[in-house]
Amino acid sequence: MHKFIFKRLILLVPVLLGVSLLVFAIMSFTPGDPAQLILGENAPAPAVEALREEMGLNDPFIMRYANFVGNAVTGDMGRSYTTGREVATEIFDRFPNTLILAALGTIIAIVIGVPVGILSATRQYSWIDSSSMIMALLGVSMPNFWLGLMLILVFSVTLGWLPSGGFMGWSSLILPALTLGTGSAAIITRMTRSSMLEVIRQDYIRTARAKGVAENVVINKHALKNALIPVITVVGLQFGYLLGGAVLTETVYSWPGVGRMMVDAIRQKDSPTVLATVVFLATTFSLVNLSVDILYGFVDPRIKSQYA
Amino acid sequence: MKTVTKIAMTSVMAIALSACSGTPEQDTNTLVVAQNSDAKTLDPHTTNDNASSRVAAQIYSQLVEADEDMNIVPGLAASWTIVDEKTTDFKLRQGVKFHNGEELKASDVKFTLERMIASPTVAHITNAIDTIEVLDDYNVRITTKEPFGPLLHHLTHTASSILNEKAVLEAGANYGQNPIGTGPYKFTDWAAGDRINLTAFGDYYDGKQSIENVVFRNIVEGTNRAIALETGEVDISYDIEPIDKQNIATKDGLRLLEDEALSNGYFGMNVNKAPFNDQRVRQAVAYAINSQDIIDAVILGAGRPSNSPIGPKVFGYNPDAKQYAQNLEKARQLMAEAGYTSPINTSIWTNDNPVRVQIAQILQAQLREIGINMSIEVVEWGAFLDGTGRGDHDTYILSWTTVTGDADYGMYALFSSDTHGGAGNRSFYSNPRVDELLNQGRTSTDPDVRHAAYSELQALIQEEVPTITLYNSFQNAGMQDNITNFKLSPTGHHKLRGVEFVEG
Amino acid sequence: MSNEMTLDKAQTSETEVSAVRAAPKKRSQWAEVWHRLKRDKMALCGLAILTVVVFAAVFADFIADYETVVIAQNLGDRLQGPSAQYWLGTDEFGRDIFARMIHGSRVSLLVGVLSVSISIVLGGSLGAVAGYYGGKLDNVIMRVMDVFLAVPSILLAIAIVSALGANLINLMFAISISSIPSYARVVRASVLSIRDQEFIEAARAIGASDFRIILRHIIPNSLAPVIVQGALGVAGAILATAGLSFIGLGIQPPEPEWGAMLAGGRQYLRHAWHVTTFPGLAIMITILALNLLGDGLRDALDPRLKH
Repeated sequence: MHKFIFKRLILLVPVLLGVSLLVFAIMSFTPGDPAQLILGENAPAPAVEALREEMGLNDPFIMRYANFVGNAVTGDMGRSYTTGREVATEIFDRFPNTLILAALGTIIAIVIGVPVGILSATRQYSWIDSSSMIMALLGVSMPNFWLGLMLILVFSVTLGWLPSGGFMGWSSLILPALTLGTGSAAIITRMTRSSMLEVIRQDYIRTARAKGVAENVVINKHALKNALIPVITVVGLQFGYLLGGAVLTETVYSWPGVGRMMVDAIRQKDSPTVLATVVFLATTFSLVNLSVDILYGFVDPRIKSQYA
Repeated sequence: MKTVTKIAMTSVMAIALSACSGTPEQDTNTLVVAQNSDAKTLDPHTTNDNASSRVAAQIYSQLVEADEDMNIVPGLAASWTIVDEKTTDFKLRQGVKFHNGEELKASDVKFTLERMIASPTVAHITNAIDTIEVLDDYNVRITTKEPFGPLLHHLTHTASSILNEKAVLEAGANYGQNPIGTGPYKFTDWAAGDRINLTAFGDYYDGKQSIENVVFRNIVEGTNRAIALETGEVDISYDIEPIDKQNIATKDGLRLLEDEALSNGYFGMNVNKAPFNDQRVRQAVAYAINSQDIIDAVILGAGRPSNSPIGPKVFGYNPDAKQYAQNLEKARQLMAEAGYTSPINTSIWTNDNPVRVQIAQILQAQLREIGINMSIEVVEWGAFLDGTGRGDHDTYILSWTTVTGDADYGMYALFSSDTHGGAGNRSFYSNPRVDELLNQGRTSTDPDVRHAAYSELQALIQEEVPTITLYNSFQNAGMQDNITNFKLSPTGHHKLRGVEFVEG
Repeated sequence: MSNEMTLDKAQTSETEVSAVRAAPKKRSQWAEVWHRLKRDKMALCGLAILTVVVFAAVFADFIADYETVVIAQNLGDRLQGPSAQYWLGTDEFGRDIFARMIHGSRVSLLVGVLSVSISIVLGGSLGAVAGYYGGKLDNVIMRVMDVFLAVPSILLAIAIVSALGANLINLMFAISISSIPSYARVVRASVLSIRDQEFIEAARAIGASDFRIILRHIIPNSLAPVIVQGALGVAGAILATAGLSFIGLGIQPPEPEWGAMLAGGRQYLRHAWHVTTFPGLAIMITILALNLLGDGLRDALDPRLKH
């Protein structure tokens, strides 16, 4: 098992190198001279050229990339072109905001998705099943930035119950977390239902039923445990997505998270910040996926044995 | 099913309840101000953007300051003497403390201004200065390279804030996040992207402020700023969107302040290129434009038509300069006189700023009426600056803010023969008389002489129209009724000094 | 949880290897699929909605003229609510939202279908090559795919568009790039499952080239999962287009696009809810239809998975 984790961690290195190379190349193609951006439109040409030289922008691409990697390894992701602040510091300042939102969103998704999914499966073809499946489909189909705006329209603008954005006290967590949670809840509902259905049709469940075990015991004790294994994967993947991909929701709610930091940086052509945020979010995403795989190994002994 | 539903319901309720209990309370010890973006850095020498300056304006003071009518009043300098046309002596207030406990000395002034001149971002504000000489701890002498009339105006700029030498050197590259000033509020902490907290400075030279804490919140969306004001989450909200203004103005407990700012939007023509090398064509364009349409549709009424490249609040403004009003007949007649009887094709450059793109679309429609067909070239900002600097363009849309409140800043760069291209004169306009007047205004220290020069200058520009000023912008802020003494500064960098809550 | 489909036995009946294969079908495979799909009410419902959307896109010019209605500003009628004249109201420039929504369907469908086609072709070929040849090549291709998969696709698309500039072509490119790995994976998996089967070996035995084997046998046999993935992929691409336009990195004004339309209405949310609401509904309904159809196709292509 340790070997497996180690191997996966090692594999992460080329992946992250690839990601950073990709984004670094993309940002290098971006039109606009960073030196000019830093100094502003009134800066004289010699000053801009001097800064270009100082920043190493005149070096060959490979050298600049190597420098970036070298610094990044020591935790130095450079300074933002617009704020002059250390990018790494700012990411760590903001990451808790992203994390809490993703965690709450995932909790909401589980709290809604798992029970509804089980309910649907145990009452397949009932009105509960069809209505929750329709709700789930709607949830999957709704653009989350639109859902966010609609929630703002109802709960902030019309009813005035909740703040519409920014971070001011716990009440500002509700709408963004709901927005994030809805899509994942829908996915988890569908996953739980199909996984449950698959398990219910297995022989051992039939046997249990035939032996006269009470239905709720069959479901809760026998079926649930096995049915939830694939659900865990989905939950983990969703958590990863919410951490790495909450860009739009953070934008809708002016949420001071890493995703919006990235979008703002893109608008301001602040490449060190863009680069660092993308690499950071990709790392987080990959680490969450890795943890899911490991967790999966623990809950499903069949898989665990493969790692031995 | 029931247990499952119950669990789901209770969890949701629990989250909702725990969340609601955390709502922040209103208190009169804290003033919450909302603006539409986060400050970039609080080092006034490395940025020039509004959001940063609006925070910096509370932390720092300048040698001299401008009041809300742009009159020069004493700041850190208690008084000043004009020694000769190039030399001004400033006498500093004694016992002024920086937020780190250091006392303000003439050496800090020298350090600050020299650092400023060395900074490419803001050097253009003080590059007229030749030397800064420390006479003694409280007296400092500023000498300009040439006689420079608007010196005091330039020293009122937020970028001319006086810094503490020791604090700057100690903080190094991190100074922007650890600012030390002499202003009424001192910096405490910064939640990037969200808020900046300031507290009243006990040793402020003009007395401690009655409000203990000031919070600058970053609320990007206009709707959200308006809602936050209405629900009382914020006390003052800068830049209310036009669509929300009516609500704020009429709602009980709220007030809307609106006033003319120092900015405008303008349309420029490259006078090196046909047909815009012909003054009659430029005048025809001026007659073809209905700027009220642009004001109504694009900036939603937040401005008014203008008769000058500078606004009424700027020193040197001439209210009698020519105001163009749409007159298509006259425009067509001028086009015919210039020899353009059949439609001509040309282009208009703008960067990807949505306001400018919309203006371009309206201008395109209006100029088609007089036989000028324009293609709209939307180019990225860097490319826009490059291209218009080289003169690749036929016409362009841009805006200008006369931050110093002095006509020199508002017109020199735009119309002088010295500043063709990237230095500001993107119309490549040249007129010896204009140059003469610009120099007269710049080098004279006599306000009457300067005013006369600028008045003639504006009349000339409005006659020859290398640029057409489309509108002068308004600015606004919404605020709670229980706040007094808040005034809009024409520069946009509103000062919160003296703002108080009224007992209610 | 396996994604492999059971369809790898048909498709090639007209080729010389069909004789080698077991169980020839009476009815063509696709007729069978259609037959099953027809009985799935939800899928049919999705298909019906989608037909309407496609119809709207194709005949958009007959419904509302682009120059005079869709992009023409009518500043006197700004932000009007729904009425007999403007069915869904007007936007911040007084333009008819209904007309813009109809025309907006063109962009969404175009980007959706084209970008998915691009990623299917590129991702599919990479996956097929990786799976068929295996070994080092497989390793290299799939590690590169892992790089792309390590970045949430919306992030990757944002980064690409921001670097290349926001326009239709770059948007399609960015969206297709970011979904190449998923097609590569799907195709590779199904290639692996059939690579060593008898009919492939038979083809090899009679001297068919690798290229021919991949083209004639491997690819047709991995079509089923790709089709399912593709239907859902179009939905994803439409969502991504709208999302990118929403943050200003997609379709540029005055071209109507659903995401950009609702973003434009954002600051008028409290005064003119319809500007944001209707384009969002259009996105949701289209995605819903694609999801219904995608689910239906999956069930129809693989009856074993149907519960």
